[in-house]
Amino acid sequence: MIKSNSRLLPVLGLLLVGVLLAGCGATPVAENWPGLTLEGNTLYVISGLPQRVYLLDVETGMQRATFLPQGMENGIFYWSPVTVGDDTAFVGFGDAKRGVSGLYAFDPETGQELWHVPADDLILPAPAYADGVVYFGDSGGRVYAVDVETRSLKPGWAFEADEAIWASPVVEDQRVYVAGMDHNVYALGAETGEVIWSTDVGGAMAAPPRLDAETGLLYVGAFDGRVHALQADTGEPVDGFDFKAENWIWSEVLVAEDRLYTASLDGRLYALDTQTGATLAPYPFDTSALAGAESAIRTSPVQAGENVIVGTEAGRVVAVREGQQQWTWPSGLPESPIYTTPVVAEGRVYVVLMNGQVQSLDASTGAPGWAFVPPQAD
Amino acid sequence: MGITDIWTVIILRPMLNALLWLYSTLGGQFWLAIIIFTVVVRVIMTPLMLPQQRSAKKMQQVQPRLQELQKKYAKDREKLAQEQMKLYKEAGVNPMGGCLPMLVQFPIWIGLYQSIIQALGHQPLQLLNLSQNIYPFLQGIWAAVPLNRFFLGMDLSLTPQQLGGLTYALPIFVAFTSWLQTKMITPAASGDGGQAAGMNQSMTMMMPLMFGFFSLSFSTGLSFYFIVSNVIGIITQGFISGWEGLLFWKNMSLSRLLGGGGRPRPATSQQAGGPSQVQARPPAGNERGMQSGSKKRKKRRRKR
Repeated sequence: MIKSNSRLLPVLGLLLVGVLLAGCGATPVAENWPGLTLEGNTLYVISGLPQRVYLLDVETGMQRATFLPQGMENGIFYWSPVTVGDDTAFVGFGDAKRGVSGLYAFDPETGQELWHVPADDLILPAPAYADGVVYFGDSGGRVYAVDVETRSLKPGWAFEADEAIWASPVVEDQRVYVAGMDHNVYALGAETGEVIWSTDVGGAMAAPPRLDAETGLLYVGAFDGRVHALQADTGEPVDGFDFKAENWIWSEVLVAEDRLYTASLDGRLYALDTQTGATLAPYPFDTSALAGAESAIRTSPVQAGENVIVGTEAGRVVAVREGQQQWTWPSGLPESPIYTTPVVAEGRVYVVLMNGQVQSLDASTGAPGWAFVPPQAD
Repeated sequence: MGITDIWTVIILRPMLNALLWLYSTLGGQFWLAIIIFTVVVRVIMTPLMLPQQRSAKKMQQVQPRLQELQKKYAKDREKLAQEQMKLYKEAGVNPMGGCLPMLVQFPIWIGLYQSIIQALGHQPLQLLNLSQNIYPFLQGIWAAVPLNRFFLGMDLSLTPQQLGGLTYALPIFVAFTSWLQTKMITPAASGDGGQAAGMNQSMTMMMPLMFGFFSLSFSTGLSFYFIVSNVIGIITQGFISGWEGLLFWKNMSLSRLLGGGGRPRPATSQQAGGPSQVQARPPAGNERGMQSGSKKRKKRRRKR
C-alpha cells in the first residue's frame, strides 16, 4: 500500500500542476470594459456578472429594466456599447462559447428584446444609427448596414477590412467613416458600402475618427502614437500636421474651443493645434503624477463646461482646465480602473468603473452623487 | 511592488520584448519568432544544466555501489539511507538534480504563454496590456500591431480546442516528441516491478500525456515551443547517448511501451530544456529491481 502510494503521489502531483496550468489557459472572462451610453433620461450600462444591459434612471440611478438576449442566462459575453435611434436601442452581443454573435434590438424603456440580426464575429464597437440604418463593424473586419424597418441587412451593402473593426463608424453626409485595425481609414458610401477612399495611416485604430464639420477634417488617434488629420473629402493627410504621444492613442479626439484634445496610454492629456498638431502649453497634463505611477488613459476626453474630463487606468476621474487639475474623484484610494469614456449631461458626469460600479458626479466640483452597484453572480 | 509587478518586470517583459524584437527582425512571422526564441532559450539554459548532467552521469557510475549497499543493509532502511547519502556526497551526486530543469522551465512556459496571449491579443484588454509592456526602444513595433498571428491558416493565439480540425495533431505531436525524449533519457526498467522502476514507468507515460494536455488547453503557439524544445532535446540526447532510443518500434510491445524499456540502457545524463525530461530517481531501500544485478555480481565473485 505504501509502495503504491509513493508511486502515485508524484503522478498525481504532476496532474494537479497540469490542471492548474490548464486553468490559466482557459478562455478568459470578458475582455472588454463596461459600456456606458446616455440617451434622454436613461443610462444604458453594460455591467454585472454575468454582464447584461442595465437601464438606469439618470436622475436617481434606480434600475428601470435590464436586457439580456433570450436563452443567454450564463456565459462569457461580449458586448458593444448601446446606441439608441428611432425609438429602439441597439447593442452588439456575442457569446464566444456558444458561437453566437449579432446585433440585438430592444425596447429602450422596458428592455424587451425586439429582434436581432446575426453577425459573423464579435461586435465590440458601438453601432451607429443614421436615417433608419444601423451601421456596425465586427472583429472579423466586416461592416454591416441593417435596415431597421425591414430588420435585415441592407441588400447589396458589403464591405470587409483586412483586420478587426473595433471603432464605431461615423456617419455624415451619406458617408460612413470607418477606422480599422488594419491601419486604414475608410470612407464608404452609406447606400452601398462602396469604398470612396481609404488611407493607410501607419497604425491600428480602435477609436472612431472625429469629423470637424466646420473644417472638413477627420482626426483619428492610432496605435502608432500619432493623431492623424485627413481631408474628409479625399482622405489626403493634412500637410504639416504632426503629433506623436509617448504611447498608443486609443481614444477619440475631442474638438473643442478651437483646439483638439487627445489622451494617450502614456497617461497624458494633450491639447493640440487643429492645423499643425503642435501641443499647446501648458499641456500636456500628466495624470500619472496623481497616481504616483504610470497610469494609462484609455478613455476619450469629454467636455463638461470649461473642464475636460478623462478617466484613468489608475481609477480616477480627473477634470482639467487650461492644463490645471480642477478636481479628481475619488478623494480616497481608487477602487477599480476606468477604461470607459464618461458621459456628461445636465451638469453631471457619469462614470462606470471596471468593477461595474456606476457613479454620478457633479461636473463642476466632482462631488459624488448616486452610485449603482450591479449584482454579481455567486 | 507586488509579486505580479516583479513577475512582469523580470519574466514577462523581457520574454515579450524578445519575441517582439524577433518578430520584427524575422519579417513579421510570429511562428518563426517562437522557434528562434526556443532555440535561444535552450542555448542559454545549457550551461545552467551542465552540473545536473554531470551529476546524472555520476549517478550512473555509482549504481553498482548503490546495489551493494542495498543488499548489505536490506533490513536496516535507516542505515541504508545514511550510507546512500554518504555515497552521493562522496561521488558528488545531487539526487534531486532532475527537478531543476523542470523548475527552471516553469516560469518560461508561463511567461511564454502570457507573452503569446499579449502579443497576439485579439481582445481589447489583451492589447491594452501589450501597450504597457513594450520597451520604449521597441516603439517601432507599434506600427506592426496587430501582429500576424497566423501560421498556415492557424491562429497561434487560440487553443486546439478552439480551432478544432487538424490542430488536434499538435498536442499529439507534443506528446509523442515528449515521450520519445523521455524514452531516450529514462533508464530502462529491469522488468521486475521495483519501486523506482515503477515510478519511471509512470513518468514515461504521464509526462508526455501531461504536456499533450497542456498543448490541448493552451495557445497553439506554446505547442511550437514544446515541439521545438523536444526536438532539440532529442537531437542533443542522441549525440550524448546514441540514437538507438529513436528506434522505439523495435521490440515494441504494449508492456514495453508503457514500461519505458526496450533493451535495458544505463541511466543517462539529464539534458537541459526539454519539457518532458525526467531524471532517473535514485534507487531507494528495498529495490527488488536491483537484486538481479547483484546476483550476477555475486556469481562473478564466487567464480573468482
